[in-house]
Amino acid sequence: MNHINRYKPTDKMSNIIFRNYSLISVMSRFGLPLGFGEKTVKEICDKQNVDCNTFLAVVNFIEEEQYGYEYDAENEQISLPALMDYLKQAHSYFLDFNLPSIRKKLKEALELEPKNNDVTQSILLFYDKYETEVNRHMEYENKFVFEYVENLISGKDTGSYRIKNFAQKHNHIEKNLTELKNIIIKYYPQETCNNLLNATLFDIFHCESDLNLHCKLEDELFTPAVAELEKRLVNER
Amino acid sequence: MKDNDSIKIAITDNSTIIRAGIASVLKRLSNHNFTINEIANLDALKIFIRLHTPDILIINPLILSNNNITLSVKKEFPTIKTIAILSSFIDQKTLADFDDTISIFDDTETINTKLEELLAEDDEETTDTEQLSLREKEIIACVVKGMTNKAIADKLSISIHTVITHRRNITKKLQIHSAAGLAIYAIVNKIVEIQDIKDGIN
Repeated sequence: MNHINRYKPTDKMSNIIFRNYSLISVMSRFGLPLGFGEKTVKEICDKQNVDCNTFLAVVNFIEEEQYGYEYDAENEQISLPALMDYLKQAHSYFLDFNLPSIRKKLKEALELEPKNNDVTQSILLFYDKYETEVNRHMEYENKFVFEYVENLISGKDTGSYRIKNFAQKHNHIEKNLTELKNIIIKYYPQETCNNLLNATLFDIFHCESDLNLHCKLEDELFTPAVAELEKRLVNER
Repeated sequence: MKDNDSIKIAITDNSTIIRAGIASVLKRLSNHNFTINEIANLDALKIFIRLHTPDILIINPLILSNNNITLSVKKEFPTIKTIAILSSFIDQKTLADFDDTISIFDDTETINTKLEELLAEDDEETTDTEQLSLREKEIIACVVKGMTNKAIADKLSISIHTVITHRRNITKKLQIHSAAGLAIYAIVNKIVEIQDIKDGIN
Protein backbone atom coordinates (compact mmCIF):
# COMPACT_ATOMS: atom_id res chain seq x y z
CA MET A 1 0.00 0.00 0.00
CA ASN A 2 1.23 3.41 -0.91
CA HIS A 3 1.52 5.37 2.30
CA ILE A 4 3.30 8.44 1.02
CA ASN A 5 0.35 10.39 -0.23
CA ARG A 6 -2.06 9.27 2.39
CA TYR A 7 -3.64 11.62 4.86
CA LYS A 8 -2.57 11.18 8.46
CA PRO A 9 -4.26 11.94 11.79
CA THR A 10 -1.94 14.92 12.20
CA ASP A 11 -2.92 16.59 8.90
CA LYS A 12 -5.02 19.72 9.03
CA MET A 13 -8.64 18.93 8.24
CA SER A 14 -9.14 22.03 6.08
CA ASN A 15 -6.17 21.07 3.88
CA ILE A 16 -7.85 17.80 2.97
CA ILE A 17 -10.79 19.64 1.42
CA PHE A 18 -8.59 22.22 -0.26
CA ARG A 19 -6.80 19.41 -2.04
CA ASN A 20 -9.91 17.54 -3.14
CA TYR A 21 -13.23 19.33 -2.91
CA SER A 22 -15.29 16.21 -3.54
CA LEU A 23 -14.39 15.17 0.01
CA ILE A 24 -16.81 17.78 1.38
CA SER A 25 -19.59 15.22 1.09
CA VAL A 26 -17.56 12.76 3.17
CA MET A 27 -17.35 15.31 5.97
CA SER A 28 -21.09 15.69 6.20
CA ARG A 29 -21.68 11.95 6.03
CA PHE A 30 -19.43 11.53 9.04
CA GLY A 31 -21.28 14.37 10.75
CA LEU A 32 -18.32 16.74 10.77
CA PRO A 33 -19.56 20.34 10.40
CA LEU A 34 -17.44 22.96 8.57
CA GLY A 35 -15.42 25.62 10.38
CA PHE A 36 -12.39 23.44 10.99
CA GLY A 37 -9.96 26.27 11.80
CA GLU A 38 -6.44 25.01 12.33
CA LYS A 39 -7.51 21.73 13.91
CA THR A 40 -6.07 18.38 12.83
CA VAL A 41 -8.00 15.35 11.62
CA LYS A 42 -7.51 13.61 14.95
CA GLU A 43 -8.69 16.61 16.99
CA ILE A 44 -11.85 17.08 14.91
CA CYS A 45 -12.68 13.35 14.92
CA ASP A 46 -12.20 13.06 18.68
CA LYS A 47 -14.35 16.10 19.31
CA GLN A 48 -17.22 14.73 17.20
CA ASN A 49 -16.78 11.14 18.39
CA VAL A 50 -15.89 9.83 14.95
CA ASP A 51 -13.53 6.88 14.52
CA CYS A 52 -10.42 8.52 13.10
CA ASN A 53 -9.00 5.43 11.35
CA THR A 54 -12.25 4.75 9.52
CA PHE A 55 -12.58 8.38 8.50
CA LEU A 56 -9.04 8.34 7.08
CA ALA A 57 -9.64 5.00 5.33
CA VAL A 58 -12.64 6.49 3.48
CA VAL A 59 -10.89 9.77 2.67
CA ASN A 60 -7.77 7.99 1.44
CA PHE A 61 -9.84 5.56 -0.61
CA ILE A 62 -11.58 8.39 -2.43
CA GLU A 63 -8.34 10.31 -2.86
CA GLU A 64 -6.44 7.34 -4.27
CA GLU A 65 -9.29 6.19 -6.43
CA GLN A 66 -8.45 9.00 -8.85
CA TYR A 67 -5.08 7.42 -9.52
CA GLY A 68 -6.10 3.79 -9.26
CA TYR A 69 -6.79 2.38 -5.84
CA GLU A 70 -4.65 -0.52 -4.87
CA TYR A 71 -6.74 -3.37 -3.55
CA ASP A 72 -5.60 -4.47 -0.15
CA ALA A 73 -7.61 -7.12 1.62
CA GLU A 74 -5.99 -6.70 5.00
CA ASN A 75 -6.91 -3.11 5.37
CA GLU A 76 -5.94 -0.83 8.22
CA GLN A 77 -7.94 -0.92 11.38
CA ILE A 78 -11.34 0.00 10.01
CA SER A 79 -14.14 0.02 12.53
CA LEU A 80 -17.04 -1.73 10.84
CA PRO A 81 -19.72 -0.01 12.96
CA ALA A 82 -18.24 3.39 12.05
CA LEU A 83 -18.02 2.45 8.37
CA MET A 84 -21.63 1.25 8.38
CA ASP A 85 -22.72 4.52 9.98
CA TYR A 86 -20.98 6.33 7.17
CA LEU A 87 -22.62 4.15 4.51
CA LYS A 88 -26.06 4.65 6.07
CA GLN A 89 -25.54 8.41 6.06
CA ALA A 90 -24.49 8.19 2.43
CA HIS A 91 -27.65 6.24 1.61
CA SER A 92 -29.75 8.85 3.33
CA TYR A 93 -27.93 11.59 1.40
CA PHE A 94 -28.81 9.99 -1.94
CA LEU A 95 -32.37 8.99 -1.05
CA ASP A 96 -33.49 11.97 1.00
CA PHE A 97 -31.51 14.78 -0.55
CA ASN A 98 -29.66 14.28 -3.81
CA LEU A 99 -32.12 12.26 -5.90
CA PRO A 100 -35.19 14.33 -4.87
CA SER A 101 -33.39 17.60 -5.57
CA ILE A 102 -32.32 16.40 -9.02
CA ARG A 103 -35.93 15.42 -9.73
CA LYS A 104 -37.15 18.88 -8.76
CA LYS A 105 -34.59 20.57 -10.99
CA LEU A 106 -35.24 18.16 -13.86
CA LYS A 107 -38.98 18.80 -13.66
CA GLU A 108 -38.49 22.58 -13.67
CA ALA A 109 -36.09 22.36 -16.60
CA LEU A 110 -38.36 20.16 -18.68
CA GLU A 111 -41.41 22.28 -17.93
CA LEU A 112 -39.69 25.17 -19.70
CA GLU A 113 -40.54 23.30 -22.90
CA PRO A 114 -44.30 22.77 -22.72
CA LYS A 115 -44.39 21.49 -26.30
CA ASN A 116 -42.61 18.37 -25.10
CA ASN A 117 -45.07 17.68 -22.34
CA ASP A 118 -45.41 13.99 -23.17
CA VAL A 119 -41.66 13.51 -23.32
CA THR A 120 -41.35 15.26 -19.95
CA GLN A 121 -43.84 12.88 -18.45
CA SER A 122 -42.06 9.84 -19.83
CA ILE A 123 -38.71 11.07 -18.49
CA LEU A 124 -40.18 11.68 -15.04
CA LEU A 125 -41.74 8.21 -15.11
CA PHE A 126 -38.30 6.79 -15.82
CA TYR A 127 -36.79 8.86 -13.02
CA ASP A 128 -39.38 7.80 -10.47
CA LYS A 129 -38.83 4.20 -11.37
CA TYR A 130 -35.10 4.72 -10.94
CA GLU A 131 -35.56 6.30 -7.52
CA THR A 132 -37.59 3.28 -6.43
CA GLU A 133 -34.81 1.00 -7.64
CA VAL A 134 -32.12 2.89 -5.70
CA ASN A 135 -34.35 2.86 -2.67
CA ARG A 136 -34.74 -0.90 -2.84
CA HIS A 137 -31.00 -1.40 -3.34
CA MET A 138 -30.02 0.74 -0.37
CA GLU A 139 -32.78 -0.46 1.94
CA TYR A 140 -31.58 -4.00 1.31
CA GLU A 141 -28.12 -2.99 2.48
CA ASN A 142 -29.45 -1.02 5.45
CA LYS A 143 -31.81 -3.70 6.65
CA PHE A 144 -30.26 -6.97 5.58
CA VAL A 145 -26.52 -6.66 4.97
CA PHE A 146 -25.75 -4.30 7.84
CA GLU A 147 -27.84 -6.36 10.21
CA TYR A 148 -25.89 -9.45 9.18
CA VAL A 149 -22.63 -7.66 9.98
CA GLU A 150 -23.97 -6.41 13.31
CA ASN A 151 -24.94 -9.97 14.24
CA LEU A 152 -21.51 -11.13 13.15
CA ILE A 153 -19.85 -8.55 15.39
CA SER A 154 -21.97 -9.44 18.41
CA GLY A 155 -21.29 -13.15 17.86
CA LYS A 156 -24.85 -14.22 17.04
CA ASP A 157 -25.54 -17.17 14.77
CA THR A 158 -25.73 -15.83 11.23
CA GLY A 159 -26.72 -18.96 9.33
CA SER A 160 -25.14 -19.75 6.02
CA TYR A 161 -25.17 -16.22 4.55
CA ARG A 162 -21.74 -14.81 3.80
CA ILE A 163 -20.63 -11.39 2.59
CA LYS A 164 -19.42 -13.16 -0.54
CA ASN A 165 -23.08 -13.66 -1.53
CA PHE A 166 -23.57 -9.91 -1.30
CA ALA A 167 -20.34 -9.04 -3.09
CA GLN A 168 -21.09 -11.20 -6.11
CA LYS A 169 -24.58 -9.86 -6.57
CA HIS A 170 -23.86 -6.25 -5.67
CA ASN A 171 -24.62 -4.29 -8.83
CA HIS A 172 -23.62 -0.77 -9.57
CA ILE A 173 -26.73 1.25 -9.09
CA GLU A 174 -25.77 4.20 -11.30
CA LYS A 175 -26.35 2.21 -14.48
CA ASN A 176 -29.90 3.36 -15.14
CA LEU A 177 -29.04 6.95 -14.28
CA THR A 178 -26.35 6.75 -16.96
CA GLU A 179 -29.01 5.44 -19.32
CA LEU A 180 -31.35 8.34 -18.58
CA LYS A 181 -28.59 10.87 -19.16
CA ASN A 182 -27.60 9.16 -22.42
CA ILE A 183 -31.19 9.11 -23.65
CA ILE A 184 -31.65 12.81 -22.94
CA ILE A 185 -28.40 13.68 -24.68
CA LYS A 186 -29.13 11.51 -27.70
CA TYR A 187 -32.87 11.76 -28.16
CA TYR A 188 -34.33 14.75 -26.32
CA PRO A 189 -36.08 16.87 -28.99
CA GLN A 190 -34.78 20.31 -28.10
CA GLU A 191 -35.00 23.40 -30.29
CA THR A 192 -33.16 26.00 -28.24
CA CYS A 193 -30.59 25.67 -25.50
CA ASN A 194 -31.94 25.22 -22.03
CA ASN A 195 -29.39 26.21 -19.39
CA LEU A 196 -31.40 24.71 -16.56
CA LEU A 197 -31.56 21.36 -18.33
CA ASN A 198 -27.81 21.47 -18.91
CA ALA A 199 -27.24 22.29 -15.26
CA THR A 200 -29.42 19.32 -14.34
CA LEU A 201 -27.34 17.09 -16.60
CA PHE A 202 -24.25 18.29 -14.73
CA ASP A 203 -25.93 17.27 -11.49
CA ILE A 204 -26.77 13.88 -12.96
CA PHE A 205 -23.17 13.37 -14.12
CA HIS A 206 -21.98 14.23 -10.67
CA CYS A 207 -24.51 12.01 -8.93
CA GLU A 208 -23.59 9.19 -11.30
CA SER A 209 -19.91 9.31 -10.38
CA ASP A 210 -20.78 9.78 -6.71
CA LEU A 211 -22.93 6.64 -6.78
CA ASN A 212 -20.23 4.77 -8.65
CA LEU A 213 -17.66 5.72 -6.02
CA HIS A 214 -20.08 4.79 -3.26
CA CYS A 215 -20.60 1.30 -4.69
CA LYS A 216 -16.87 0.91 -5.24
CA LEU A 217 -16.23 1.82 -1.64
CA GLU A 218 -18.67 -0.87 -0.58
CA ASP A 219 -16.92 -3.36 -2.86
CA GLU A 220 -13.36 -2.50 -2.00
CA LEU A 221 -13.39 -1.26 1.58
CA PHE A 222 -16.52 -2.59 3.26
CA THR A 223 -16.79 -6.09 1.76
CA PRO A 224 -13.15 -7.12 2.34
CA ALA A 225 -13.32 -5.84 5.93
CA VAL A 226 -16.36 -8.04 6.54
CA ALA A 227 -14.70 -11.01 4.80
CA GLU A 228 -11.70 -10.52 7.08
CA LEU A 229 -13.95 -10.57 10.14
CA GLU A 230 -15.66 -13.75 8.91
CA LYS A 231 -12.27 -15.39 8.44
CA ARG A 232 -11.17 -14.40 11.93
CA LEU A 233 -14.35 -15.81 13.46
CA VAL A 234 -13.92 -19.11 11.64
CA ASN A 235 -10.35 -19.38 12.90
CA GLU A 236 -11.39 -18.69 16.49
CA ARG A 237 -13.90 -21.49 16.50
CA MET B 1 -21.30 0.93 -31.59
CA LYS B 2 -19.79 -0.63 -28.50
CA ASP B 3 -21.60 -1.81 -25.48
CA ASN B 4 -21.52 0.66 -22.61
CA ASP B 5 -21.20 -2.02 -19.99
CA SER B 6 -18.12 -1.73 -17.93
CA ILE B 7 -15.43 -4.41 -18.21
CA LYS B 8 -13.74 -5.36 -14.96
CA ILE B 9 -9.99 -5.68 -15.17
CA ALA B 10 -7.65 -6.67 -12.36
CA ILE B 11 -3.97 -5.82 -12.80
CA THR B 12 -1.68 -7.85 -10.57
CA ASP B 13 1.98 -7.00 -10.45
CA ASN B 14 4.26 -6.11 -7.56
CA SER B 15 5.66 -3.10 -9.41
CA THR B 16 3.61 0.03 -8.83
CA ILE B 17 5.06 1.62 -11.98
CA ILE B 18 3.97 -1.28 -14.17
CA ARG B 19 0.51 -1.42 -12.60
CA ALA B 20 -0.06 2.31 -12.95
CA GLY B 21 1.41 2.22 -16.44
CA ILE B 22 -0.92 -0.49 -17.68
CA ALA B 23 -3.87 1.21 -16.00
CA SER B 24 -3.13 4.48 -17.74
CA VAL B 25 -2.74 2.80 -21.15
CA LEU B 26 -6.10 1.10 -20.62
CA LYS B 27 -7.72 4.43 -19.76
CA ARG B 28 -6.66 5.75 -23.16
CA LEU B 29 -8.61 3.03 -24.92
CA SER B 30 -11.85 4.95 -24.94
CA ASN B 31 -13.92 2.43 -26.87
CA HIS B 32 -14.46 0.44 -23.68
CA ASN B 33 -15.48 1.43 -20.24
CA PHE B 34 -12.98 -0.28 -17.95
CA THR B 35 -13.18 -0.67 -14.21
CA ILE B 36 -9.60 -1.23 -13.15
CA ASN B 37 -8.29 -2.63 -9.90
CA GLU B 38 -4.64 -2.72 -9.00
CA ILE B 39 -3.47 -5.62 -6.89
CA ALA B 40 0.06 -5.89 -5.54
CA ASN B 41 0.35 -9.46 -4.31
CA LEU B 42 -1.09 -12.95 -4.51
CA ASP B 43 -2.84 -12.93 -1.16
CA ALA B 44 -4.82 -9.82 -2.05
CA LEU B 45 -5.60 -11.33 -5.45
CA LYS B 46 -6.98 -14.52 -3.94
CA ILE B 47 -9.42 -12.57 -1.80
CA PHE B 48 -10.29 -10.10 -4.53
CA ILE B 49 -11.09 -12.75 -7.11
CA ARG B 50 -13.42 -14.56 -4.76
CA LEU B 51 -15.38 -11.40 -3.96
CA HIS B 52 -15.38 -9.61 -7.32
CA THR B 53 -14.79 -11.84 -10.28
CA PRO B 54 -13.09 -9.71 -12.96
CA ASP B 55 -13.60 -10.19 -16.70
CA ILE B 56 -9.90 -9.96 -17.44
CA LEU B 57 -6.96 -10.71 -15.19
CA ILE B 58 -3.69 -9.11 -16.26
CA ILE B 59 -0.93 -10.64 -14.19
CA ASN B 60 2.82 -10.85 -13.99
CA PRO B 61 3.65 -14.58 -14.21
CA LEU B 62 6.76 -14.02 -12.10
CA ILE B 63 4.83 -13.25 -8.93
CA LEU B 64 3.14 -16.62 -9.22
CA SER B 65 6.44 -18.47 -8.58
CA ASN B 66 5.38 -22.10 -8.18
CA ASN B 67 1.88 -21.19 -7.28
CA ASN B 68 -0.24 -22.43 -10.11
CA ILE B 69 -2.99 -19.93 -9.66
CA THR B 70 -3.77 -19.49 -13.36
CA LEU B 71 -4.86 -23.09 -13.60
CA SER B 72 -6.97 -22.92 -10.48
CA VAL B 73 -8.47 -19.61 -11.58
CA LYS B 74 -9.38 -21.20 -14.90
CA LYS B 75 -11.00 -24.09 -13.14
CA GLU B 76 -12.96 -22.08 -10.61
CA PHE B 77 -13.78 -19.06 -12.79
CA PRO B 78 -13.81 -20.28 -16.39
CA THR B 79 -15.07 -16.93 -17.71
CA ILE B 80 -12.00 -14.93 -16.64
CA LYS B 81 -9.57 -14.20 -19.45
CA THR B 82 -5.95 -14.13 -18.34
CA ILE B 83 -3.18 -12.02 -19.82
CA ALA B 84 0.46 -12.37 -18.78
CA ILE B 85 2.58 -9.24 -18.36
CA LEU B 86 6.00 -9.72 -19.93
CA SER B 87 8.60 -7.50 -18.35
CA SER B 88 11.55 -9.82 -18.96
CA PHE B 89 12.25 -13.13 -20.66
CA ILE B 90 9.79 -15.79 -19.59
CA ASP B 91 9.73 -19.46 -20.43
CA GLN B 92 7.09 -20.21 -23.07
CA LYS B 93 5.87 -23.18 -21.06
CA THR B 94 4.81 -20.85 -18.24
CA LEU B 95 2.80 -18.81 -20.70
CA ALA B 96 0.81 -21.72 -22.09
CA ASP B 97 -1.87 -21.30 -19.43
CA PHE B 98 -2.62 -17.70 -20.41
CA ASP B 99 -5.07 -16.48 -23.02
CA ASP B 100 -2.65 -13.80 -24.21
CA THR B 101 0.42 -11.78 -23.28
CA ILE B 102 1.23 -8.08 -23.11
CA SER B 103 4.85 -6.98 -23.22
CA ILE B 104 5.84 -3.76 -21.49
CA PHE B 105 7.25 -2.75 -24.89
CA ASP B 106 3.94 -3.15 -26.74
CA ASP B 107 2.48 0.06 -28.13
CA THR B 108 -1.05 1.24 -27.38
CA GLU B 109 -2.32 0.01 -30.74
CA THR B 110 -1.05 -3.54 -30.14
CA ILE B 111 -2.52 -3.69 -26.64
CA ASN B 112 -5.81 -2.40 -27.99
CA THR B 113 -5.90 -5.08 -30.69
CA LYS B 114 -5.13 -7.83 -28.19
CA LEU B 115 -7.91 -6.72 -25.86
CA GLU B 116 -10.36 -6.35 -28.74
CA GLU B 117 -9.61 -9.90 -29.82
CA LEU B 118 -10.10 -11.25 -26.32
CA LEU B 119 -13.34 -9.38 -25.83
CA ALA B 120 -14.64 -10.15 -29.30
CA GLU B 121 -14.82 -13.86 -28.53
CA ASP B 122 -17.88 -13.29 -26.37
CA ASP B 123 -19.45 -10.77 -28.65
CA GLU B 124 -22.01 -11.94 -31.09
CA GLU B 125 -22.42 -10.34 -34.48
CA THR B 126 -22.83 -6.59 -34.15
CA THR B 127 -25.23 -4.59 -36.20
CA ASP B 128 -23.90 -1.34 -37.52
CA THR B 129 -27.04 0.27 -38.88
CA GLU B 130 -28.92 2.20 -36.29
CA GLN B 131 -32.11 2.55 -38.27
CA LEU B 132 -34.92 0.60 -36.71
CA SER B 133 -36.99 -1.63 -38.92
CA LEU B 134 -40.78 -1.39 -38.94
CA ARG B 135 -41.00 -4.67 -37.09
CA GLU B 136 -38.64 -3.40 -34.42
CA LYS B 137 -40.81 -0.33 -33.90
CA GLU B 138 -43.83 -2.58 -33.47
CA ILE B 139 -41.92 -4.54 -30.86
CA ILE B 140 -40.95 -1.35 -28.99
CA ALA B 141 -44.58 -0.27 -28.91
CA CYS B 142 -45.51 -3.60 -27.32
CA VAL B 143 -42.63 -3.60 -24.82
CA VAL B 144 -43.39 -0.12 -23.49
CA LYS B 145 -47.04 -1.05 -23.07
CA GLY B 146 -45.81 -3.67 -20.63
CA MET B 147 -46.50 -6.74 -22.75
CA THR B 148 -44.57 -9.94 -22.04
CA ASN B 149 -42.46 -11.62 -24.73
CA LYS B 150 -45.11 -14.31 -24.98
CA ALA B 151 -47.91 -11.78 -25.51
CA ILE B 152 -45.84 -9.94 -28.14
CA ALA B 153 -45.13 -13.20 -29.96
CA ASP B 154 -48.84 -14.08 -30.03
CA LYS B 155 -49.90 -10.64 -31.19
CA LEU B 156 -47.40 -10.46 -34.04
CA SER B 157 -47.64 -14.18 -34.86
CA ILE B 158 -43.92 -14.82 -34.45
CA SER B 159 -41.97 -17.08 -32.10
CA ILE B 160 -40.77 -15.95 -28.66
CA HIS B 161 -37.25 -16.60 -29.86
CA THR B 162 -37.73 -14.08 -32.67
CA VAL B 163 -39.10 -11.52 -30.21
CA ILE B 164 -36.01 -11.94 -28.05
CA THR B 165 -33.71 -11.53 -31.05
CA HIS B 166 -35.53 -8.36 -32.08
CA ARG B 167 -35.27 -6.98 -28.56
CA ARG B 168 -31.56 -7.71 -28.45
CA ASN B 169 -31.05 -5.90 -31.75
CA ILE B 170 -33.07 -2.92 -30.53
CA THR B 171 -30.89 -2.69 -27.42
CA LYS B 172 -27.78 -2.79 -29.58
CA LYS B 173 -28.97 -0.16 -32.03
CA LEU B 174 -30.29 2.33 -29.50
CA GLN B 175 -28.05 1.52 -26.52
CA ILE B 176 -31.16 1.57 -24.35
CA HIS B 177 -31.38 -1.34 -21.94
CA SER B 178 -34.60 -0.79 -20.01
CA ALA B 179 -38.30 -0.71 -20.87
CA ALA B 180 -38.61 2.69 -19.16
CA GLY B 181 -35.81 3.98 -21.38
CA LEU B 182 -37.48 2.61 -24.51
CA ALA B 183 -40.66 4.37 -23.38
CA ILE B 184 -38.94 7.76 -23.58
CA TYR B 185 -37.61 6.87 -27.02
CA ALA B 186 -41.05 5.73 -28.15
CA ILE B 187 -42.68 8.98 -26.98
CA VAL B 188 -40.01 11.16 -28.60
CA ASN B 189 -40.47 9.30 -31.88
CA LYS B 190 -44.25 9.19 -31.57
CA ILE B 191 -44.41 5.40 -31.67
CA VAL B 192 -46.88 5.37 -28.76
CA GLU B 193 -49.00 7.79 -26.70
CA ILE B 194 -48.16 8.82 -23.15
CA GLN B 195 -51.21 6.99 -21.80
CA ASP B 196 -49.93 3.69 -23.24
CA ILE B 197 -46.71 3.82 -21.25
CA LYS B 198 -48.34 5.05 -18.05
CA ASP B 199 -50.29 1.81 -17.98
CA GLY B 200 -47.29 -0.24 -19.05
CA ILE B 201 -44.43 0.98 -16.89
CA ASN B 202 -46.10 0.86 -13.51
